[in-house]
Amino acid sequence: MSTSLSLLPAFVLHSRPYRDTSLLLEVFSAGQGRVGLVARGARTSRSRQRGLLQPFQPLLLSWSARGELGTLTAVEAAGAPLSLRGHALYSGFYVNELLVRLLHRNDPHPELYPVYGETLTGLMQASEPEPVLRRFELRLLELLGYGLQLERDCAGAELDPESRYDYRPEEGAVPLAPTGQARGVAISGHSLLALRSECLDDAQVCRDARRLTRAALDPHLGAAPLKTRAVLRQLVKVR
Amino acid sequence: MSVSPLIAQLIEALRCLPGVGPKSAQRMAFQILERDRDGGRRLAAALVEAVERIGHCRDCRTLTEAEVCVLCSRAGRDRSLLCVVESPADVQAVEQSTGFQGLYFVLMGHLSPLDGIGPEELGLDQLAARLDQGEVREMILATNPTVEGEATAHYLGEMARARGIRATRIAHGVPLGGELEYIDGGTLSHAFAGRREL
Repeated sequence: MSTSLSLLPAFVLHSRPYRDTSLLLEVFSAGQGRVGLVARGARTSRSRQRGLLQPFQPLLLSWSARGELGTLTAVEAAGAPLSLRGHALYSGFYVNELLVRLLHRNDPHPELYPVYGETLTGLMQASEPEPVLRRFELRLLELLGYGLQLERDCAGAELDPESRYDYRPEEGAVPLAPTGQARGVAISGHSLLALRSECLDDAQVCRDARRLTRAALDPHLGAAPLKTRAVLRQLVKVR
Repeated sequence: MSVSPLIAQLIEALRCLPGVGPKSAQRMAFQILERDRDGGRRLAAALVEAVERIGHCRDCRTLTEAEVCVLCSRAGRDRSLLCVVESPADVQAVEQSTGFQGLYFVLMGHLSPLDGIGPEELGLDQLAARLDQGEVREMILATNPTVEGEATAHYLGEMARARGIRATRIAHGVPLGGELEYIDGGTLSHAFAGRREL
């Protein structure tokens, strides 16, 4: 069965060379989710597509799909490229890798597309990328059905900002005695409550959020570590 | 296949070249066997020698059979200028069309976080060591104007800044003889952002 789609809003997440002159694109599109597309002849010197087929460039893509890989038939810019610079750019790569790794191909995720766009705009405007990344991770987890339990603790009691909790991704927040060892992520009630309302301005809350989202994401990423994380660590060292 | 095993092997081997499919490979193989066996011998010898002996220049990492390449060892090049490019082909492009008189450093790729290619994988510690020698006063970042090329340029810029070395980025803009109407939006917006005083 072959389907053809016309001028869908989309972003390129990643591209790599394919055959002699083509590109293999991982695309995140509105309505179709993540799709794999072949851009035939996009690496020839006469190709007008190559300049457009860059990450963080809002696009309108047309393609025909038959089986798993589609064939790109038309490309148009849907606006100016989001000019991410420096750390924001590296953060953008991280967001892209999360999507490539966590989304299944052709799973539509209609709610996620606007979240992605907002995240890129947020990275472009924010002075500090971390809160933007944490908000994206929280949304992503929620939309994938792995949302964090931030309403109540595992026994159904209200979270107490003064208490400490052991957050386990599969159970939720388990109250932790002051001397107890956490099996999951040891985190304060205050940070959990701040996360619920997405108040990530406090540096401590932001650090806690990072540990928590990482613990929640890791089981779904499989055995291979995220490549952008390792590269980002090296990139930050030079600063 | 209807040809003998040795011919089939030759055809298959020729296909490792870019743009060579089964049809062209077959034409090349028959051309060599029917009309130009000497040419074939020369090609074979040159290939073997090149593949065995060509390595990377100690200083700039471009392809060369010498320890230090021709450009790096030439007296009279300005050693305070260092142009960083992605590939040996880029060195040729800059050499042929600009009057650049400094030296080069070839990255052999670009930072590509999603492919796991970071500063270590690119061997940027070698570039850092070069900058630490104190000879370089300006580093010209001539990586490709792609998102990955920009990420690479940014990182290299930070490396230079940390050492008090001037870092410049090549301009991107409207090609000569081009018409604004037909230029893609990204290039045009870059050209506008990088406009300069007349």
